[in-house]
Amino acid sequence: MKVTYNWLKDFVEIKISPQALADRLTMVGLEVTSLEENAGDFIFEIEVTSNRPDCLSVMGIARESAAILGHRLKVIGHRLDKKYLSPIIYHLLPIAIKIEDKKDCPLYTAKIIKDVKVGPSPDWLKKRLELIGCRSVNNIVDISNYILFTWGEPLHAFDLDKLNGNAIFVRRAKPGEKITTIDAEQRVLNPDILVIADEEKPVAVAGVMGSKDTEVTEATKNILLEAAAFNPIVVRRGRRNLGIQSESSYRFERGVNLEIVDNASWQAAELIQESAGGSCVFVKSSGLAKTKKKSINLAIPMVNRILGINIQAPKIKKVLSSLEFKTKIKTKNHFAVEIPAHRPDVTSQIDLIEEIARIYGYENVPQTLPSVEPQVSVGEARDLVSLIKNILVGLGLNEVITYSLIDKDLLRHFATQEVDEAIEILNPLSREQETLRPRLIPSLAACVAYNLNQKEDHINIFEVSKVFSQSKASTHEELRLGIALCGIKSLLLQQGLIKDPVGLLHLKGISEVLFVRLGIRDYAFKVEDNGSIISVYAAGEKIGLMAKLEKSVLDRLDIKNKDVFVLEFSLGRLLFCTNLNKKFSHLPVYPGISRDISLILKGEVLVGDILEAIKGEGNPLLKEARVADYYKGKQIPPGFKGLTISCLYRSDERTLMETEINPAHSLICHLLAERFGAQIR
Amino acid sequence: MSGMDIEAIEIQVDSEIQNISSSQNLEEFRLKYLGRKGIIAQLTSAISGLPAQERATFGQQVNGLKNKILSLVDEKQKFITAGSIQPAVTLCDISMPGIAQELGHLHPVTQVMEEICAIFMQMGFSVVEGPEIETEYNNFTGLNIPLEHPSRDVFDTFYLKGKERLLLRSHTSPVQIRVMKSRKPPLAVVVPGRVYRPDAVDASHSFMFHQIEGFMVDENIRFSDLKGALKVFAKAVFGKDIKMRFRPHFFPFTEPSAEVDISCIICKGKGCSVCTKKGWLEILGSGMIHPNVFKHVGYDPKKYTGFAFGMGIERIAMLKYGIDDIRLFFENDLRFLRQF
Repeated sequence: MKVTYNWLKDFVEIKISPQALADRLTMVGLEVTSLEENAGDFIFEIEVTSNRPDCLSVMGIARESAAILGHRLKVIGHRLDKKYLSPIIYHLLPIAIKIEDKKDCPLYTAKIIKDVKVGPSPDWLKKRLELIGCRSVNNIVDISNYILFTWGEPLHAFDLDKLNGNAIFVRRAKPGEKITTIDAEQRVLNPDILVIADEEKPVAVAGVMGSKDTEVTEATKNILLEAAAFNPIVVRRGRRNLGIQSESSYRFERGVNLEIVDNASWQAAELIQESAGGSCVFVKSSGLAKTKKKSINLAIPMVNRILGINIQAPKIKKVLSSLEFKTKIKTKNHFAVEIPAHRPDVTSQIDLIEEIARIYGYENVPQTLPSVEPQVSVGEARDLVSLIKNILVGLGLNEVITYSLIDKDLLRHFATQEVDEAIEILNPLSREQETLRPRLIPSLAACVAYNLNQKEDHINIFEVSKVFSQSKASTHEELRLGIALCGIKSLLLQQGLIKDPVGLLHLKGISEVLFVRLGIRDYAFKVEDNGSIISVYAAGEKIGLMAKLEKSVLDRLDIKNKDVFVLEFSLGRLLFCTNLNKKFSHLPVYPGISRDISLILKGEVLVGDILEAIKGEGNPLLKEARVADYYKGKQIPPGFKGLTISCLYRSDERTLMETEINPAHSLICHLLAERFGAQIR
Repeated sequence: MSGMDIEAIEIQVDSEIQNISSSQNLEEFRLKYLGRKGIIAQLTSAISGLPAQERATFGQQVNGLKNKILSLVDEKQKFITAGSIQPAVTLCDISMPGIAQELGHLHPVTQVMEEICAIFMQMGFSVVEGPEIETEYNNFTGLNIPLEHPSRDVFDTFYLKGKERLLLRSHTSPVQIRVMKSRKPPLAVVVPGRVYRPDAVDASHSFMFHQIEGFMVDENIRFSDLKGALKVFAKAVFGKDIKMRFRPHFFPFTEPSAEVDISCIICKGKGCSVCTKKGWLEILGSGMIHPNVFKHVGYDPKKYTGFAFGMGIERIAMLKYGIDDIRLFFENDLRFLRQF
């Protein structure tokens, strides 16, 4: 909403500077978003919140200014009245107003002004409208706009001679009825839309826009001036239905003050006679121009209890009356407050408390600290998620946040079966927002592709976020962890650069660190039958998978000559297995003896089987068997691999002798040779 | 004492000085021989006890030894001082890159969210999260937002296909309804999370972003408490010199409602392009929970009062780090993420 300093001064005495006024308005809730000087005036642009339709007018902002400044509003009346109309002509021009439903239109007034001369507006009018960004059209249109901006009451002028018959109908549109609006668009109407019609057809979408063929032009001689009030919801539905918005609809759907309609209409008629000549010859009104007076009880202790201040009855009375609320003392601590017609938003005590706080000044409310009893919560899912994120960051991974909405086509490349279960968005703005993702991997893969394009050679990212799915009647949300790795990790060590191409073992390593840190001992990695996916289990339950992305997916994402490795875990299941309770076990008292076994094995023998076999020997002195090294290369024949296993022997009762270990260790070497055909080196 | 003794001492001196490599050892050495009760002093005091004919020779020998030790100490001192400038070269080239496991980075949105949660947790709030798919009731009606009303225009919403009255929450406020329906006051809760609005994407709009919501309900929570709590928050995030102002505003679910501005952190309130010359930056919306919201959740509005506030995490992060485009948060360029 734009107003000018001089325009406001028509209604209220202002002795402070425009900037000072802007600051004061901002601090009572009418935020001045810009203040500009132009042509000897100042233009305020004000953000008016949706609860304050009264401030969509110069009058409304003048009223607030008056309250801030402690002045009274200037009274602006009009000279015209019914008594000025010739009774003869009055009877010669009977036009009936027929309102189909008073709920749609509680008040409709029409004035007929004959023999006007349509032409340019007087300069003062042009200037005012142009300062607030409203284009001047002609005197009749400009005057109705001027009244709209001044009083907040939208008016509409029809070319009387283009209306058919002797009645104005306010009714719902018939299915399929058409209208060409002033913006030259033909629009098809339906019964959700309220129209103004003559005896033949709609001539305006009520409260939104008039028709092209009844608009006021240079050739217009006689006009019918409409001033009305329409149901806010009906106007809102109508204009949303047609996808249009106007200064009129903006005000009607927020609610106009019934009591201003008549005055605004007379003001317009008077201005028209002054600047376009003609005479107002007919006035007709249908409906009630009064709203029922509301009264609200205000308990003064409640004001202080809500705001945390100490304000007394006389001050409250003063604040409220500055806003034109009438107060009546009921008991010592209670007021009955009568609500003025221009404040339909004030319907309960809390609304009055806000009015008091606004004018009293939020800045005058002290700052206090509430006392809260802390609610301690330990080990909640959120803390665990935070722990997981920090572990992953410690492992060098970077957290990403990708959109929960994705392109259905991209999803289809990853998971054909999940596409059908994915939840779709009814009103996406673009194809990229069609579907709520049922898994994280596609988004992470797209993120890898983006970073490859930025010439990153090592990408290691993770995200913790929800995925969505649906079954027949219900929707599901599940918290997931996703990781994606791609490229070559460069390690600059003392011996020089080591290039480590990332792969599934890196994902496995990350998972194992997570499991250990979360106290999950029982976990397993299992290659699925098709060989391309590895399922991950914790406490016997499948918690997710690891995989190398397939070529078709990489092609879809334009990833060339790179492998991408991904992991996705259900965090719900992972957190279910988590056990952060720690228990101390005594440090070994006696030293252990470590023995390495170097083996050459057939390529297909699994390292896990070797370790299982060693542990399966059941020697109670063997505390640990782990892979110490593995290698392929010149010394190893093709199809074979080299492996070093480190075995740790220890007794809890005594220091072991070399001679005690030798037989046990030989037994293990013998077993490996026999069962796996291993060559012991 | 005899010439032999002097010779033996000289041999001892020669061998001891060889093994000295630190200033401390050198000082010990100096005291041993040249100190007030040192060996030279002892020898000197012995002179008077010698037969007269031996005195001169012995005295010269002692003096010669003393001078030798003095010059040895001096020489050694120079060597040690010179050596201490160099040891890095002999240990390693410390200008080489250090060797360590590289750490990753938490997303800046996560960092700001954690920081804000931590501030409120210190004030006794607990963190609650809620679903991202919400009912129309929790997202709108329960929060006193009528279905057909212009106040809904700022909350354009993604609806789910084939799921009547289900939507992606357009703010974190529905969690207020969920928490209040399942618990009784006193309540002090913060709610971080993702929210969705069908806005065309540009430098300052995103169809998905993060909010943090906070609310406190008890028998005597006042507007002044809201002001106090948010002041603590703003000072913790933006520094203790920050100024703050509360402006009346309209939100359907709070009354009185306030928008909160902080003094511009770029120009310190003087007016610049970031604050569009106003000197103030809007950071959050807040207010006293509307009695109608209490009625919806079955609380007695005569008994309980409360405040609520909500803010966009990206907005706070942009101000805090000087980020000028919201899209950067969701592009996940590693060069961006590594800066935080």
